[in-house]
Amino acid sequence: MRPLKNTLLLALALLVAGTVRAAGELNIFGWSEYIPQKVLDGFTKETGITVNLETYASNEELLSKLLAGGNSYDLIQPSDYAAEALIRAHLLEPLDPARLPNRKNLDPAFLHRPHDPDDRYTVPYMSGTVGIVVNTDRVKEPIHGYRDVFQPKYRNRIVVLNDNREMVSWALDTLGRPINRITPEALAAARPVLARWISLVKVFDSDSPKTALLNGDVDLGIVWSGEAAILWRENHKFQYVIPAEGAHQFLDVLAIPANAAHRDAALQFMNYILRPEVSVLISDVFPYTNPNAAARKLLTPEQLANPASYPPHPGRLESFRDIGRAAEGIDRLMTDLKSAR
Amino acid sequence: MHGESGTDEAALAAAAGTKDRAAVRHGTRPSLAARLLLAPAVAWLTIFVIAPTAILLVYSFCDRDELGRVVFRFTLDNYRRVFDPVYVRIFVRSIWYAALSTALCVVIGFPVAYCIGRARGTVRQRLLLLVMIPFWTSFLIRTYAWITILKEEGLLNSLLHPWLAAPLDLLYTPTAVMIGLVYAYLPFMILPIYGSVEKLDGSLIEAAHDLGAGPLRVFSSVVIPLTLPGIAAGTLLVFVPAIGMFAVTDLLGGARVPLIGNVIQNQFLQARDWPFGAALGVVFLVLFAVAYWVLQRRAREEMP
Amino acid sequence: MRQRPTFRLRWPNGLGVLRWFLNGWTALVFVFLYLPIGVLVVYSFNRSRLNLQWAGFTLEWYRSLVENTPLLRAAQNSIVIAIVSTVLSVVLGTLSAWLLHRYRFRNQGTIQTLAAIPMVMPEILMGISLLIFFAALGLGLGFTTVIIGHVTFCFPFVLVAVQARLRGLDPAMEEAALDLGATPARAFWLVILPWLRPAILAGALMAFTLSWDELIVTFFTTSAASATLPIRIFGMAKIGLNPMLNALSAVIVVATAAIVLFSAYVRRLARD
Repeated sequence: MRPLKNTLLLALALLVAGTVRAAGELNIFGWSEYIPQKVLDGFTKETGITVNLETYASNEELLSKLLAGGNSYDLIQPSDYAAEALIRAHLLEPLDPARLPNRKNLDPAFLHRPHDPDDRYTVPYMSGTVGIVVNTDRVKEPIHGYRDVFQPKYRNRIVVLNDNREMVSWALDTLGRPINRITPEALAAARPVLARWISLVKVFDSDSPKTALLNGDVDLGIVWSGEAAILWRENHKFQYVIPAEGAHQFLDVLAIPANAAHRDAALQFMNYILRPEVSVLISDVFPYTNPNAAARKLLTPEQLANPASYPPHPGRLESFRDIGRAAEGIDRLMTDLKSAR
Repeated sequence: MHGESGTDEAALAAAAGTKDRAAVRHGTRPSLAARLLLAPAVAWLTIFVIAPTAILLVYSFCDRDELGRVVFRFTLDNYRRVFDPVYVRIFVRSIWYAALSTALCVVIGFPVAYCIGRARGTVRQRLLLLVMIPFWTSFLIRTYAWITILKEEGLLNSLLHPWLAAPLDLLYTPTAVMIGLVYAYLPFMILPIYGSVEKLDGSLIEAAHDLGAGPLRVFSSVVIPLTLPGIAAGTLLVFVPAIGMFAVTDLLGGARVPLIGNVIQNQFLQARDWPFGAALGVVFLVLFAVAYWVLQRRAREEMP
Repeated sequence: MRQRPTFRLRWPNGLGVLRWFLNGWTALVFVFLYLPIGVLVVYSFNRSRLNLQWAGFTLEWYRSLVENTPLLRAAQNSIVIAIVSTVLSVVLGTLSAWLLHRYRFRNQGTIQTLAAIPMVMPEILMGISLLIFFAALGLGLGFTTVIIGHVTFCFPFVLVAVQARLRGLDPAMEEAALDLGATPARAFWLVILPWLRPAILAGALMAFTLSWDELIVTFFTTSAASATLPIRIFGMAKIGLNPMLNALSAVIVVATAAIVLFSAYVRRLARD
């Protein structure tokens, strides 16, 4: 048995060794499917640097794998609040502005954001919002905000993100409270609102909330704008509304972890992504809001008309800040309410 | 080696005969060779089960920082929280879901395992593979196929349409979760039962018939008792993983009712609270280990 | 004995009804097992990108599947990992099942319980604790770490399946072999192992299937180079479940089912 195992392990070691190239390497840990293959191939073709892309499906997956250790990534792709937490813990490498001349292409609205006020650690990648999708074939009344969605007559016709912090922030917005100040008192105030809302929801889904909407199992949704944009592209009956009470705007960024081995390649990649003709390739696959002003000029009128990607009336948008340990209170509250159903 | 065995060796064997027989009786003290052969498995368990579990145990008594990193400061808070009624209730519900799906798997799977086990040799192996092949697609893809079947305007409702006043509301209900659970775990019930049925002696069934037992009687007093080890193994393989399951409730249940698997998952992938997640896991493992150990012990004592 | 004629008339009836019922039930269960597979095969020819409503026939997804190198690469990784994990699990599981059955070790109950723990341990706990452990050992992530993780949760399934069959084994089988002069090792190899085959096959099938479709432990123990199919698929599903994934599933199921169903036929053809 031992020799057999050793032989197999040896064979595997050879297999792994065969795939690793010595020079010009870039290890990216990014959202799955968020960086189009075309972009990666173009970069390799131009620079000769091999890109190894490993993927995750949520900020917390990224953080847990990063924090558990035993890995070395050159480039990661957190959302703003996750980047803020990493900056605070000194886990990101400061960027050399001289190496990122293409940063000039960015829309100033996406610079100097609260997670990284001096843009020392991060470069914006894509942005989006969380808002309401209305199937206008089924819902005839106007929907402006959370209050209009969570009505008894829409019981079991609603899908929302399966994300506890998101839902709590909608309740706080409805109560006119700041969404980043999670105190026991704020949670106590949100509790009755959330209890009522949860009883009306049919599906909680963060991965693909569009499925329930497309299938016709629900008529209203509070979802990522990217999901809403795909729905609108499929059928214009799915309208996107930024909630009047206030909406969460997120910004996904690129950053270099403090222990990165190939910082030079990572900076090259960041600058490459900031080229308008490259950035536009991302918009083609992923219909979020492109923070690259120069790239936006290259979009088709159809892409620009998508109300989920480029909302005509943005309303009151807010960023999530890192709330640290307050997440525990949110988890306890939501678990309690959900299991009381 | 056999060819060389002369009279000396035969005599020796005859003399040692009684000793050899004693060695065959099960439950004897292991020889050095047996102990060496078991060593890799024991080493594997020690390194890759005990060590990670020990890490969890340590974490469960720790605090954490703002980022969610574990801070080595002793606390019992995590355990205090585990025994909060909210989590106890979720735990009980998870066990109930797992028990129900296990029972359904036995009822649905046993006849299938029996049929396959009694089939002719070549057919038998092919049927066994055919039970497993659907599970070589991705879990996610299969589950989305179930959504296509169960949704309000889905396959099932359009097939049943002529006989129904209103479409069945199945998707995102506990019924859909149960369908998903049975579907996911059925092969893990069928396969071990098959292993027991296959060795069933056909003449016993005929003998029971000769004695005038009806088909149900034959089943309940001959077939079931003789295949009980298989049923027990299947129950273990279905019930135990089903308690900690989370993906089916998310996808087919609409994540409306949390189970213990979802709660543990959330501690790592939403709340960034590893110590509490670890504490939930430790309690879960300890409860299981105690129950299992007691059952094992009792089973061994019952053996002659 | 005098009653034999009437008995013969009654006897096939009882068993006949039973057999008829069992066969019918089994057929129904197979329909249940293959219903979603049928759906995904049909939808793999669906023109609609979002894969929910039927929008006409196309072969486009099969073409884009062939062109998707990262996906095919991941499938290749999955095959390697699943096969190696299965082989190791079968060796480890069968051997320890036999030894634990045949002898009474000190701490037998503890070993038994330890082996069952990976089955009950939620995947996320196992994934994270293994990752922390590998990091502490300084073991780089890759095929080796993924396979270690997979074997850890796969081999208990083999162990349990084999132990179920061993229960009630007639000791006379081994005795006979030993009486004929075989060493215990040879008796195991020549007599016990062949007799265990159905359970080993069942255990191997379960181990392969679990390894092939595992997502979470794999996520925490993999590197970019050893990413498996479930990881790719889960990521792709985020931007809409691409029908290409249906096409991939259809290819896997139809190909393996065809091999299973027609292998005997092909073998016969080859012989003639």
